[in-house]
Amino acid sequence: MATVREHVQNSLKKGKWIRSTCKMCLHSCGTIVHVTDDGIINKVEGDPTNPSNNGKLCPKGNSAIMRHYDPNRIKQPLKRTNPEKGPNVDPKWEPISWDEAYDIVARELKKALDDDPRKILPSLEHFQKMNVWNWPLAFGNQNSFQSGGTMCGGAYHPMNGYIHAAFAVANDALHCNYWINDGTGDGFSSHLHAAAQANWVADARIKRGMRCVTIEPRLSTSAAKSEEWIPIRPATDRHFALGLCHVMVTEGLCDYRFLRKDTNAPYLVGPDGTFVRNADGKIYVWDTESNSARLWDDPTVGVDRLALEGTFQVEGKECKPAFQKFRDIVDKCTPEEMEKVTTVPAATTRRIAREFARAATIGATIDIDGRTLPLRPAAYNYYRGAQGHKHGFQTNHAFKMVNFMVGNIDTPGGLCGVTLDDQWIDKNRIIPGENGMILPQPHQLGPLPPFQYPPSTYHLLNYFPVGLHPPHLNLVVFENPEKYGVDFKPDVMVIGHSNPLWAMQGPREKWFEFMRSMRFIVVCDIIPTETTMWADVILPSHDALESWNMTMIEPPHTEGMCLRQPVVEPLYDTRSEEDIMSELSERLGILDAYNEVINIVSGFHHKPELLLQPGRKYTDREIAERKGLLWNDKPLDWYIEHGHAVTHRRSDKFYRPWEGMRLHFYIEDMVTIPRDLKAKMEEAGVPFRNEWCWDDYQPLPTAVLDPVHSEPPEYDLYGIFFKEIQINFGESLSNPWIKDIVYRDPVHIALILNPKTLEKQGLKSGDIVRVDSPTGRIYGRVGASEGMHPDALGVSNSLSRIKVRHATVAHAGGHFNDLLPYDLGNTDAVTGQPETVCKVKLTKLDDWPEPLKQGLLVYDIVDEYQRPGKVGSH
Amino acid sequence: MARYGMVFDIRRCIGCNACVVACKQENSLPDGVFFTRTLSEDYGVYPNAGRVYIPTLCNHCEDAPCEKVCPSGATYTREDGIVMVNDALCIGCNSCAVACPYDQRTSLGKDLFEKGLFGQGKITDFEKQGYTRFTPGTVSKCDFCSERVDSGLDPACVVTCPTDARIFGDLDDPESKPSKLIKERGGRPPMPEKNTRPKVYYVT
Repeated sequence: MATVREHVQNSLKKGKWIRSTCKMCLHSCGTIVHVTDDGIINKVEGDPTNPSNNGKLCPKGNSAIMRHYDPNRIKQPLKRTNPEKGPNVDPKWEPISWDEAYDIVARELKKALDDDPRKILPSLEHFQKMNVWNWPLAFGNQNSFQSGGTMCGGAYHPMNGYIHAAFAVANDALHCNYWINDGTGDGFSSHLHAAAQANWVADARIKRGMRCVTIEPRLSTSAAKSEEWIPIRPATDRHFALGLCHVMVTEGLCDYRFLRKDTNAPYLVGPDGTFVRNADGKIYVWDTESNSARLWDDPTVGVDRLALEGTFQVEGKECKPAFQKFRDIVDKCTPEEMEKVTTVPAATTRRIAREFARAATIGATIDIDGRTLPLRPAAYNYYRGAQGHKHGFQTNHAFKMVNFMVGNIDTPGGLCGVTLDDQWIDKNRIIPGENGMILPQPHQLGPLPPFQYPPSTYHLLNYFPVGLHPPHLNLVVFENPEKYGVDFKPDVMVIGHSNPLWAMQGPREKWFEFMRSMRFIVVCDIIPTETTMWADVILPSHDALESWNMTMIEPPHTEGMCLRQPVVEPLYDTRSEEDIMSELSERLGILDAYNEVINIVSGFHHKPELLLQPGRKYTDREIAERKGLLWNDKPLDWYIEHGHAVTHRRSDKFYRPWEGMRLHFYIEDMVTIPRDLKAKMEEAGVPFRNEWCWDDYQPLPTAVLDPVHSEPPEYDLYGIFFKEIQINFGESLSNPWIKDIVYRDPVHIALILNPKTLEKQGLKSGDIVRVDSPTGRIYGRVGASEGMHPDALGVSNSLSRIKVRHATVAHAGGHFNDLLPYDLGNTDAVTGQPETVCKVKLTKLDDWPEPLKQGLLVYDIVDEYQRPGKVGSH
Repeated sequence: MARYGMVFDIRRCIGCNACVVACKQENSLPDGVFFTRTLSEDYGVYPNAGRVYIPTLCNHCEDAPCEKVCPSGATYTREDGIVMVNDALCIGCNSCAVACPYDQRTSLGKDLFEKGLFGQGKITDFEKQGYTRFTPGTVSKCDFCSERVDSGLDPACVVTCPTDARIFGDLDDPESKPSKLIKERGGRPPMPEKNTRPKVYYVT
């Protein structure tokens, strides 16, 4: 009798495929997951029916199974029995029941709530579950100790809210012909739906011949794949952008029609920096034909008559069009002057500006879905590396200006706003503001606390009316609470889906002191991390193959909702994050308030039949179901079968959804907000008001240098850090499949220096060094690469872990973030964005310091991988 | 009968290694074992430095030296061109590994299956259902996901590649994707001077 051979390849074994959504980063690529008839998950692939990623998955998505079957997963609630806390101190966990865990946690949280709700410090940054992230609003708490945010896009997001009324931006891969990336790997390694965008961009490059130019200090993947890599000194990208603007402005290469018609560039700005208004508050423009001031909406003045340049007298005040104010700044930003700051040759800046402007085909149009739209197939994209500086708001504004020059904002081929959770597309997004301008939407992650003194938030968010969240300021206040008038001290931490001790900037040792000052710490997570080490109680949550969710995070070219559904029953005694938060809320007497937070955050008020009702707890499945119904009225069964309701973005929502309104070329808020804030601080007698960096607020980007450039000259290199697709936007270094590829990759296994710099420093590849910044210190092994700016020291995030009780996670010589400043002077007063570049100096060592010789070092793994093995065991 | 081959589009490849992880997933490969690897190579001098990402796997050579030297006949070529290993016949002599000019043969030592992906002898349920396909002590390699191919699917690495840099198909069909790509973009096999006649090509 012939035997039917059992399949050996995993995807063919007897079983079924279930549609779901990836959770290995914060985005939402579609997946199909294979589970065998024996209940073992043995393959994850991209969902070919999901038009976001078209069946593609990045290496992180491909590694999801190893998170699920990680033997280090937390299998039940744990209680700490060792009162001593430290980075490698054994907590001496005692397994406890959920009942006991909830009893303890609720008791400790209740003590804080009854005493002062501000004494709770949450870190719940969860993009895929924003209803969990916003749980603290249920008791009016707006503290934050989150792990991402400002490292990522602290100034980026508010600026996107000002210009596009959106959360993120992307170059339009469907039409772009000249794609610039500055400090970002969009389309190659990172950011919005990495695998999806890489697919879109590869097709654009190969099928349409799209040209790519990457500006950044190191030869990243984006730079390696681009037609041109422009190396730049770290923390000077704003100056490069201003140099490009100089060329376009002085050589007349701009889309003047766009500037006149679609922006506030022609609006007249008076001596105090605000627009010149008549008694009714209407803004003036200058009509070049009648040579007189007119109101912006005067129907007799054609748009082409509006002055963009010049100095005029209106109502006794000297004033200039906003464009002239910008011109006044960039006239001085000659490529030669900017070269001194950036090291980018002036000729390169001139050439790129001209190429960019030419590729933008100013004046061209394209018909899409019955609309005739401007076609501007040249776009300047940028993200974490370029935007993460002290002068974050100005920096992001400068990058926007490069795009404003060619009129490509939200146009086919240009720089387009990307919404966060797609209920934003249709609701509450494009709203007319005053005087024909669009209403800015900088607060897309939730409401900000109002001004208050003493502050109601430990990280001083009361003084950042533009946003976003400066979590590093928790340390600043901790070190000097009297100075900031903080009259409470958080002593309970609620941490979920975050690893702040891995992500925060400033020295770990100081953060450890901060942690030790806490009375009680509860952590909700899946695997042991740097942060779970400090918990008093750990509440283990389901992983993404065991739970429900409905979400869509920043898809560049698609919209819709993606379902996450359980593929198997939970492996261990875990709970969903929703179950945990609602159970705690019920025990704390805040369940109704929490349900209302979920209602608001999820948008259920738009369809009142979906509203969560008071008095009962809702599961992750029930909330997912409602989000699906909210999007397209389809029940959960429909989503279970289809996996998603993703379609291509509607062109009227993506391209110029603000048609007829004017964009904020000039951001007047940057004059009125600080004026208002200053007055409030004065009235309240805020003691640190004279140290506040008022000059950070600028309505137009300037060429001020970030303070990192003024550190003492003994610190002669710029430290930068980076990820790449294997390790970005999530934790993956605990994953053996990721470890297997990362520690074999030359960019992830050494502190990288340009070979000439290595030589100048008196070092050789393989030398052990101590790296000192004015703030902190780390250790590492240096390596050489021609793909590194001579002024820079490049440190991969692969070398950033500290001692964790997870066998696969190898520590390196300390976390790069220890080197970064965390003070107010290096924080953008506008957005809270901290500086993410540091000046460093190197000292050669003969050997590792003693503490690093204990335990597995990353470099041990690297050496093992590089050891030539016997033939055939590569 | 098809004659299967692969084309790597070097212009598209972003070196992300999704292919490598997909292959490890699909085949339950032990720690440190690769049936495909995507390498990166720096070139040039700053500021004119560059990097190229190079996917590699078994080239399923027409004149496979591994097959020629195999003393037991374990290594053989299917009618459709896929070079296979019958591990029931493999005696683990490693001659194939020595003979392969591309270093694409992997020795599957017993210790690999005992230590587990997470080390410390903790074998996950995923590994338990996957390791049964291997015979420790034998020498193995990429087989173009022959089982998937027989079921009408593309290899796992091809399906997942975010930039469509891996193109698989019938080299004897002039209209197949790999055939057209080789013709249009001038596909070249790796190290042709080794005279093994690979069925894997690179286009730039």
